[in-house]
Amino acid sequence: MAELKTFQGGIHPPYNKELASGKAIKPAPIPSEVVIHLQQHVGAPCEPLVKEGDRVEVGQKIGEAQAFVSAPVHASVSGVVKAITEVPNFTGAKVRSVVITPDATQPEFQKKPGKDLESLTAEEIREIAKEAGLVGMGGAAFPTHVKITPPSDKPIDTVIINACECEPFLTCDHRLLLERTDDLIAGARLLKTAVGASRVIIGVEANKMDAVDALRSRASSYRDVEVEVLEVKYPEGAEKMLIFALTGRKVPPGKLPSEVGCLVQNVGTAVALYEAAAWGKPLYERVVTVTGPGVREPANLLARVGTPVSVLLEACGGLVGNPVKLIMGGPMTGWTQPDAKTPVVKGTSGVVVLTSEMVDLGEESECVRCGKCVEVCPMFLSPNFIVQSTKRGQWDRAEMWGALDCFECGCCSYQCPAYIPHVQYVRKAKAEIAARKKK
Amino acid sequence: MALDNLVITPPPHLRSKEQTAVAMRDVLIALAPITIAALVAFTYNALFNIAVCVGSAMFFELVARKVRKKKVTLSDGSAAVTGLLLALLLPPKIHWLNMIIASFVAVVIVKELMGGLGRNIFNPALFGFVFILIGSGFLASWTGHLGFLPGGFDGVQAATPVAYIKHGLEGAPSYAALLFANYGGAISEVGCFWILLGGAYLIYRKVINWVIPVTILATVFILAYILGSDGLYQILAGGVMLGAFFMATDWVTSPMYRWGQAVFGLIIGICIVLIRLYGGPSGAVAYSILIGNAFVPLLDRAFKPRKFGEVVAA
Repeated sequence: MAELKTFQGGIHPPYNKELASGKAIKPAPIPSEVVIHLQQHVGAPCEPLVKEGDRVEVGQKIGEAQAFVSAPVHASVSGVVKAITEVPNFTGAKVRSVVITPDATQPEFQKKPGKDLESLTAEEIREIAKEAGLVGMGGAAFPTHVKITPPSDKPIDTVIINACECEPFLTCDHRLLLERTDDLIAGARLLKTAVGASRVIIGVEANKMDAVDALRSRASSYRDVEVEVLEVKYPEGAEKMLIFALTGRKVPPGKLPSEVGCLVQNVGTAVALYEAAAWGKPLYERVVTVTGPGVREPANLLARVGTPVSVLLEACGGLVGNPVKLIMGGPMTGWTQPDAKTPVVKGTSGVVVLTSEMVDLGEESECVRCGKCVEVCPMFLSPNFIVQSTKRGQWDRAEMWGALDCFECGCCSYQCPAYIPHVQYVRKAKAEIAARKKK
Repeated sequence: MALDNLVITPPPHLRSKEQTAVAMRDVLIALAPITIAALVAFTYNALFNIAVCVGSAMFFELVARKVRKKKVTLSDGSAAVTGLLLALLLPPKIHWLNMIIASFVAVVIVKELMGGLGRNIFNPALFGFVFILIGSGFLASWTGHLGFLPGGFDGVQAATPVAYIKHGLEGAPSYAALLFANYGGAISEVGCFWILLGGAYLIYRKVINWVIPVTILATVFILAYILGSDGLYQILAGGVMLGAFFMATDWVTSPMYRWGQAVFGLIIGICIVLIRLYGGPSGAVAYSILIGNAFVPLLDRAFKPRKFGEVVAA
């Protein structure tokens, strides 16, 4: 067998995808209350367009973006605005949110008269993405219309669909690849038009060969769409790693993919763009993988934005064992939650419950210079020296060792025999360095 | 729902099975073949040495941590490893006071006073060994055959295998003897096959990588022939194998990056040959690795890898 495309470094954590990969997407129950954050993306928060007591219809815009780097938010249910208040999001930060009490019965979504997708212009597609409130659904939640507005001096020739889903446990993208194959390809081609690229590459990890087959059989009718199989390795789906694996191009430190003529978008985002363009559907629901050894019946649920995690867990038969970590997102980069109240946002790809058998809360000890963090770092940084410099408050040195180039994949901490939480130190160093540069 | 035990931690939430203590346990397992060979060869003499060295190393660490009011770290196994390595470096008959002194220097001065495991520049066991080597000159007073196996040296004041390197190989032990059962010098010099076995285990377990041992062995082998000495004899005799697989690969005191590790091995290999041929043969490996240790901060700076996508400034 030919060697699969990949990058250098990285790790092989236990994937545990089989818990949910065979479960078809099904709708999650409508909760008794949805909490929609007015900021669930990178960028400026939205201003509410509704007030307490207002009636809202599903898909109605309820928060307007106030800046270019921002994305509007929409009502995910039909109902009555109960309150506009501050609620902690999945990171623990308090954000202004619209609380809606849903009606007892929810209307079926009515597809708007279909547009001719082939005739849409780049400008129109960007406008559609913006109005639908699209953000990167892999977790970063960067506004899509901004990402598909590349600088005019950096022509894009390749759109890459990130179908790696390299985070362990998560299967929402896998399910979309299988169940929404045509819509994904259509969405990817819209992205291609938006940035004026000449080709689309869909990169899939080799643990989803059924999806590869489905994609290949559907993509064969398009000459501009290629499907590539990648080695199963974390973080294969990291933007820079993926571009390198698929095209051999290296995005320089501190630069964006447009520097090497690429645009990378997540599977969910491409499908959502299709839905927005073809059906006039804003982004108010998404597929969330609810899984882990602590979940009785793992599932891929189509959940309304603003649904509390507890509702999703109940829909999966509740918890089993001794749950120790409730994670929003994947187990490598996700955020642990203090309780199950947290609402789903546009970037929530999964809810993972780890039980005590899978959680190793070892105590941080002194670095023994084994060099394993260096070996696994896909960016070829020196995580141990960033930690050392951060501990000593030597910010120039932390930067020299690569603190700003770290995208926090966590491979170093995964491999570290001394249980050092490198990512935590890196975040501290980044904040300090940024604060110093402002002065 | 039973969510009372939830913990909040930074990501990642999965981790490998790697642990410092597991790695140290692997080192102890890897040292088992040579330790057993030493016990078979030197019986109670070896047992006494190992007990004194391991016991005192652990005792000194315990006391040093208590005095410094730091968490006791005996369970990480590093003190036991230091003690065992030290014992393996010593000859079978040596005054117990020498061992206590070496142990004290290794654990208290070289390791704990530098800040504890991870902060030390020099390999503790080697430094302790060299300290008493210079201080007492015990190798000259090493005598005879103490085990119950046949063969080996039973005369008084027999030459150790490394002594032949400088003065010619007339009457020296055969390659096979050096590989499987030779008596002379340290208690670990009872056949380097047993050390290779342990080294292979460490590489298999990914505790160490091949770069450092291979560059050391290759450098010694090639340079020895260039300088008119028997390269094969050189890597089989004395402590080269133990040094290459167990001492120079010490995480804390070796370079972080592959190219730095290669140069580190090269420096050590060159020093071993030069010291053996033109200086005093005993302790050549120990001196060479300590010299290599001193270069580590420099090598880490010189061989810092280029970041992903970074272009060299023209």
